[in-house]
Formats: sequence, C-alpha cells, structure tokens
Amino acid sequence: MNTQIEISVKINGKQYSAAAEPRLLLSDFLRHELGLTGTHVGCEHGVCGACTVLLNGEAVRSCLMFAVQADGQDLLTVEGLAAANGDLHPLQAAFREAHALQCGFCTPGFLMSLLPFLQDKPDASEEEIRAALSGNLCRCTGYQNIVKAVKMLLEESNSDPA
Amino acid sequence: MKHIDAAGHTRGESQYVDDMPQPVGMLHAAVFTSPVAHGRIISLNLEEAVRCDGVITVLSAKDIPGENQIGALIPDELLLAEHEVHFVGEPVALVLAKSYEQAHRAVAKIQVEIDELPVVTDPRQAFESGAIIGPARTFALGDVDTAWQECAVVVDGQCEIGGQEHLYLETQRCRAIPLEDGVLRLYSSTQSPYAVQKAAARVLGVAHHKIEVDVKRLGGGFGGKEDQATAWSCLTALAAHCTGKAVELVLPRHQDMICTGKRHPYSADFRIGLNQAGKILAYDVKHYQNAGAAADLSPAVLERTLFHSTNAYFIPNVRIFGASCRTNLPPNTAFRGFGGPQGMFVIESAIAKAAEKMNKPREQIQRLNLLRDGDTFPYGQHLDDVRAERTWDEAAQSFDLNKIKQATKTYNDDHFESKKGYAVMPICFGISFTATFLNQAGALVHVYTDGSVSVSTGGIEMGQGLVTNIARIAARAFGISEKRIKVESTNTTRVANMSPSAASATTDLNGHATILAAGQITDRLKSFAANELGLTDKSRLTIVHEKLLDGNRETGWDWQKLVQTAYLNRIDLSAHGFYATPGVWFDKQKEKGNPFAYHVYGAAVFEVTLDCLRGTYEIDSAKIVHDLGRPINKLVDIGQVEGGLAQGLGWMTLEELSFDEQGRFLSNSLASYKVPDAYFMPDDLQVKFLQNVDNPAGPYGAKAVGEPPLMYGIGVFFAIRAAMRAFRPDSDLTFDAPMTPERVLLGLHEQEREVLVTKI
Ligand code: FES
Ligand code: FES
Repeated sequence: MNTQIEISVKINGKQYSAAAEPRLLLSDFLRHELGLTGTHVGCEHGVCGACTVLLNGEAVRSCLMFAVQADGQDLLTVEGLAAANGDLHPLQAAFREAHALQCGFCTPGFLMSLLPFLQDKPDASEEEIRAALSGNLCRCTGYQNIVKAVKMLLEESNSDPA
Repeated sequence: MKHIDAAGHTRGESQYVDDMPQPVGMLHAAVFTSPVAHGRIISLNLEEAVRCDGVITVLSAKDIPGENQIGALIPDELLLAEHEVHFVGEPVALVLAKSYEQAHRAVAKIQVEIDELPVVTDPRQAFESGAIIGPARTFALGDVDTAWQECAVVVDGQCEIGGQEHLYLETQRCRAIPLEDGVLRLYSSTQSPYAVQKAAARVLGVAHHKIEVDVKRLGGGFGGKEDQATAWSCLTALAAHCTGKAVELVLPRHQDMICTGKRHPYSADFRIGLNQAGKILAYDVKHYQNAGAAADLSPAVLERTLFHSTNAYFIPNVRIFGASCRTNLPPNTAFRGFGGPQGMFVIESAIAKAAEKMNKPREQIQRLNLLRDGDTFPYGQHLDDVRAERTWDEAAQSFDLNKIKQATKTYNDDHFESKKGYAVMPICFGISFTATFLNQAGALVHVYTDGSVSVSTGGIEMGQGLVTNIARIAARAFGISEKRIKVESTNTTRVANMSPSAASATTDLNGHATILAAGQITDRLKSFAANELGLTDKSRLTIVHEKLLDGNRETGWDWQKLVQTAYLNRIDLSAHGFYATPGVWFDKQKEKGNPFAYHVYGAAVFEVTLDCLRGTYEIDSAKIVHDLGRPINKLVDIGQVEGGLAQGLGWMTLEELSFDEQGRFLSNSLASYKVPDAYFMPDDLQVKFLQNVDNPAGPYGAKAVGEPPLMYGIGVFFAIRAAMRAFRPDSDLTFDAPMTPERVLLGLHEQEREVLVTKI
C-alpha cells in the first residue's frame, strides 16, 4: 500500500518531481504535496468542476485523475493564469469586472473550464456559453455575472484590432 | 467597488481553512457516525480502528473532559453519542491519524452494535405522539372563528414543502492549533464564531477566553454553517485538546450531505376565506415543521415562519399555529430565509386555490390584498413606509404584465402539448434577528501612523460581500480612500460575543458598529486639529477625499498629516464601536411586539413553458423589482439578488431531498441531488431596484439584501402550476414542492399514473 511512484510533471511552466502513492488523486497531489491550493475540491466526484485544471491544454477534473496519470504531462492550474508580472489574465480581469464571484470557491474551476472553451470558440453565443458553463456549479452567484464576464471578454477581444 | 477579494479569488490565492500551510505533524480527523436513524448503542468496538496504520487514537464520548453537550438553544444535542443514536449520520467516534486517508480507512473498521428503535420521519406523526421541541406557538389577529361567516368563499388545503441541502461548495471544516497555556485557536468555517467558542469551551470544560476562533472567509454558508459548523469545530477542538497536536477535520462531501441538517421540510394545513371581491377576510394555518432529531435553531426558524405567514398581505383575521416536531432526521437548521419561505409558500398556495375556485386571476387577489401604510401584522408591528404596492405596480408596469397575460393566453390557445404559465410573487421580509438580544455588534478600528486602517468586526465573509461593504463604509466614515482600509479576519479575541452572520443583518449591524468606531476616532482627530489650527468650532471640520476642510476652506492638512501629527501628540487612534438596533422588541408571552427594524419589499414576474408530455419545463423569464433602499454597492447587491433567486428556484423545482422510511438520506451526492446550473437559469433575468428610496434604519440608507430574494423563487412554482392547469383545467393539483419534472408529469397525467409509474 505504501509504494511510492516517482513522477515528474510540468505545472505552470515549472518542473516538479515528487513521489506519489498510486491512488493519490491529482487534486490532493496538487493541493497537499505541492501546496497549489488554488485548485479547490467541492464534490470529490466529478460533478461540480471546482477542481478543473488543464492537462496538455484540455480541461480535466483533477478529482477524477490519479497523480501518477499526470506523469510526464503538462499541467496548468489557476496559479499559472496571471502574467509573470502579476497582471491578471483577461479572463480573470473579466470575472473581477463583472463581479462573477462571491465566495470564490468555485472560481478557479470556472476559469480553467473556460480557458480552452474561449480558445476554441472566440465567437460563442450566449447559448454556447451557458452550455460550456453548465459543467461547473456555483451556489452563490446564480451564474448571471459569470455569463456576463464571458460575454464582456468576448466582446472586448472581438473588437480589439489585434 | 469590485469585490475586494476578486483578485485573490481569481488567482487562487484566497485562503480557505485547509489552504493554509499545514503545521508540522498536523493530524487528520475522520468521524464515525451512526448508520441507523434510531437505536440503543449496545457496544462500540474501536480496537481494530486503533490498530490501523497511522492511527494515533480514536475518541468517543468518554474522552470529553467537559460537558458532552452542544445544543445552543436547547441542550438536547450531544457532541458524541453515548447510549442512543437519533439520526443517520450522528457522530459517534472520532479517528485521529497521520493522514486523511488513514483516518478514513480506520473509520471503516469501527464496529457498532445498535438495538434499533422505531424511526419517525414524518412531522405530523411526531406531533401526534407529542414529540415537539419547545412550545407550540400561535400568532393571532382579529377573530378567525367568527370571520368565516362573512366570507363568500372558504377553501381548505394542505401543503407538503420539501427541505433543501445548502450545498455550500466548501464542506464543513475546522483546523485546531494548540497554543500555550491550554489555549486553542480554531480556524473554523463557521458563520458563528462565538457559538463555536462557547460550545468548544463547554465541551472542554474551559473558560471562553481559552478558545480563540478565527475566520477569514467561508466557501459558502447560506445558514448551513450558522449552527451546524459547531459540532465539527468542537470535535476538532476535542481532538487537539486530547492529543496536544494540531488537528484538521474536513468533511467529505458525501458525509457532509448525510450528517448535516438542512432547510426544514414542512407540512401545513390552511383555510382561507374571502369576500366576493377577493378581499381576504380570514386565514387559518397550521405549520408542522420537521425539525429533525435535535433543536438546533428550529424553534427560531419556526418563529420566522409564523412572522412571515401572511407574506406581503394584510389579513384582518388570522390564526397562525406552528410546532417544531422531533423526527429522526439530522437536525434541520438555518437556511437563507430561515423559515420565512415556508410560511410564504402556504399563503401563496391558499391564494392560488381560492383564485382557482373563484375563477379569478391569482394576481388579482394578490394585488388587492397587499399591505399598506397603517396596517398591522399579526405579530403586532404597525407598518409605515410600505413598498408592497409600489414594487408590485412597478413590476407590473415595467415588465408589462398585461402583455405577458395576453401572450400566455394566445400561446396556450395555439398549442396543445406545450403550455405557458406566468405568476407574480410579492415578498415582504422583516430585517433583524427576532431574538432581540442578538441585534448587537462590535467593531474594532485601528488607524496606523501611515494612515492605513484596520477594521475588525464580528461579521463573517461568506461570499455575500461583507468585507467589501465594510471597507466601503469605513472609507466613507473616515472620508478616505478605500485603498487604505483592510478588513481583518473575524476573531473572537478582537471582537467578543458576536452574533452569527445571519438574518441578512450582518452588514447592517457591523456597518453601524464600524461607523460608530470611526466616528470616535475622527472626533478625536477633529478636536485635536481644531486646537492646533486655532479654530474654535471643530464641528466645521470635515475630512473629504482625504483632505481636512474647515467648512469649504482647505486647511492644508491631509489625512496623512492629520494622523501623524495626532500620533505625535498622543491622540488615541483606535476605537471600539458598539451598535444595538434601537426600537426592536418582542414579547413571547403575548406574541406581540416590534421585532423588525424595517421590512424589505419586492415583486417578481415569472414565465415558464411546459412540455406537457414530458413534464419538463423552461423558465423563460424572471423579472424583479426589488427595494434596496440606497444600495451600498449595487454590483454586490445584484449578485445577492441573483444568487438568492437561483437558490429559491432550485428549492422550488429541482432540489429534492429524498429520505427512505428508515431515515436514510438517498439523494446524498451531487450526482443525485440536483442544483441549478447555468443552463437552468431563466433566459431573461432582469433585476430593477426601486429608485429614490431611503431607509433611515440602515447604514447610509441601505436595506439588507441577503435573504429576501430567495423567496421570489416561490413564484416559479405557481407559474408552472398555471401552465399545468392550462393543460388540465379541471385537475386537482397538489401543493407539494419541489415541482420536479417527475412530479409535474405525474400531476398532469394522474389518470395514467399506473402506466407511467410502471413504465418509468
Ligand atoms: S471536486 Fe472535482 S468535480 Fe467536484
Ligand atoms: S462563488 Fe461561491 S460557489 Fe461560486
């Protein structure tokens, strides 16, 4: 039971090596072994989305993965969203502007679920936004401002002459 | 002003209890709870658990050094069961191990032998057998019994109202750190630090000052951590006390759902009488509250049910009866609205049934009976500055109720298997704790010599934006920038004897206390400055945008200079403010008084579309006119309205607590208990605030916002019901909530019930 497996994983651009029990969940590994506590755990079984992180660019629920499955992979957690100089990522800034958060417990999961969605669908409709959000639960906001934040961001980036 | 924690939340830097770095050697606790709902404990065998890998010890009732009792209102709840168990999920033993996994593995090895006793889950059955908690209560106005004779129409009915799981995203948790001299510091996810402090001291047999409770923020509370956080915090405290080690207890979601109390299910009987025009002349209601196995806050919740049993209506002859009934469910507890929603649901049902009988639109009766200035509530409070008609009329007008009615009719004439329904839902909610003594708050304010300010209050940040509000209030009270304000964690060593963060009153109470503390400091600063500047009238001095003004004239002093000079001249730059809401009281003997500082009003209009073959529905729109007084922070307040509405909608539609007859909770995970998601919310959701209104009783004219919006959600039940009646005009639909698609389907096709139930 106490076998430990050495794993090495890149998280937010930084290489980590650590020993993990085979059945250790990725969420617990991030939070307790590496101290990356921005990834939250709400339901522990894949429903609420609070624990969402990006695995090689894809949103995954870290409570449904073992740490060892991340061996050799590239992860992004909420701690890696803001720029190196500390500036908020535009998505973070939109959440702040639109007051898309209350207790904040669900927030990291929403951000991480939205990131790949926004890349895939830079001109998503409200319907598509709601569908994309429906895999994450928030008990505080009623979702309106979360939808608003995403719409705001899309409008901004679509009107950017970039 | 943005949510003060927005940057921290979006960066994942905001710390919740178990995000703080773990002290070396911290132990993890896991709770063993009763697998049965009622029985006598014959034996408890902990030996195998003790021998498990990593286990330090296993604690049970006999390890409690003080009193094994955590009941706050009524001492009827043990921390750890001794001889009997009363609900599934009642804590029996506590495992302490080096890791979380080890602790949970050992819990599975605990054996308990229980001689099972009969299980009661139905409040009426409990009531009949005399199992009630606290006294039954009756509020009365006028003379109901003779009023029936004057009524043209009298209808009777019954409601079965489901409970609701809080589903705060952060489960119950606490970390205990032993300090020197027998002191314990508890980082608890609680809405009520003082309740935790008192109960932990009682359990450990120590003075209150030996327990320090510190709360930075909660990952959601909604009432579920007002009293229900206490047990888990006390268990953690006990563990730290017994081992001398730091200990953390985090409830797994599954266990949190099974063990913790919820919004109370109610069963109710009503009779309502009206004259031909639709004026309600008499209303008689009996509420049977399913309190669960211990008092918790149930009697207080029941009281609010009675207070809000006539919602926003004036009824001259009223009798409202209520009893908290003891059953073998987990102790039910506070949940946003605190019993008010259940009281309102019944009167709305009564009006619906009367309207159906009289063949009048429901909203016609509602509008006709709305409260007006000069009316009296059944509990004796006289009304002025009523905004029931105003919010209703503004909603009817700005959202064009007539057009909605017409469109609904046209749609229903044109469609057979799809029907639309609409409903209006007015609300009136009293603000203040109904236990008068709780309407007090303290704030401790320090100004540092660099001009920065630290504010501690007794209020808890649980997402509602308290910290943002307090920072704004403090900045305004000093006349300085919000950037200078830091709101500290809530800590029992800085503010003593605080009331729970509940009753929507947290910003009101703690905001007032903050204003009073800041006022003392600015007063001292002004006296000092007047002296220094050779001015005779210090009352002419104000601080505006960090500048000290004498009337309109600049004095050349800014905030920084003022503070620094004052410090060098030995002026006290700290103050404690204390606020007690004036004028509130209630006499429980007479059941009359003036329990509320003021009331919040509003009206919502809902439209739904129903698929009559499948029983599924969409909420097309929810449009609200809400009375906020002068909002402190509109952005935060709209969030509260929308979030409250979402919970109210969930309570009325999707969220179904399902217990079996053995008292086992079946919808015990997020996979089986559904809450609203982004897709479920109304396509068109609009919130308007009443303009140009004040509230002299609130801080800077604001009204409380936390709870009232939840009750708009009740409207959706009646909108769905209206759509169902459009499909089956003659059917006798029940008033059972939540209106799950399953219930809708069975309601629509009662005749085919047999077929449906066997085929489903
Ligand atoms: S914690 Fe992973 S989905 Fe809820
Ligand atoms: S902000 Fe609290 S759960 Fe979403």
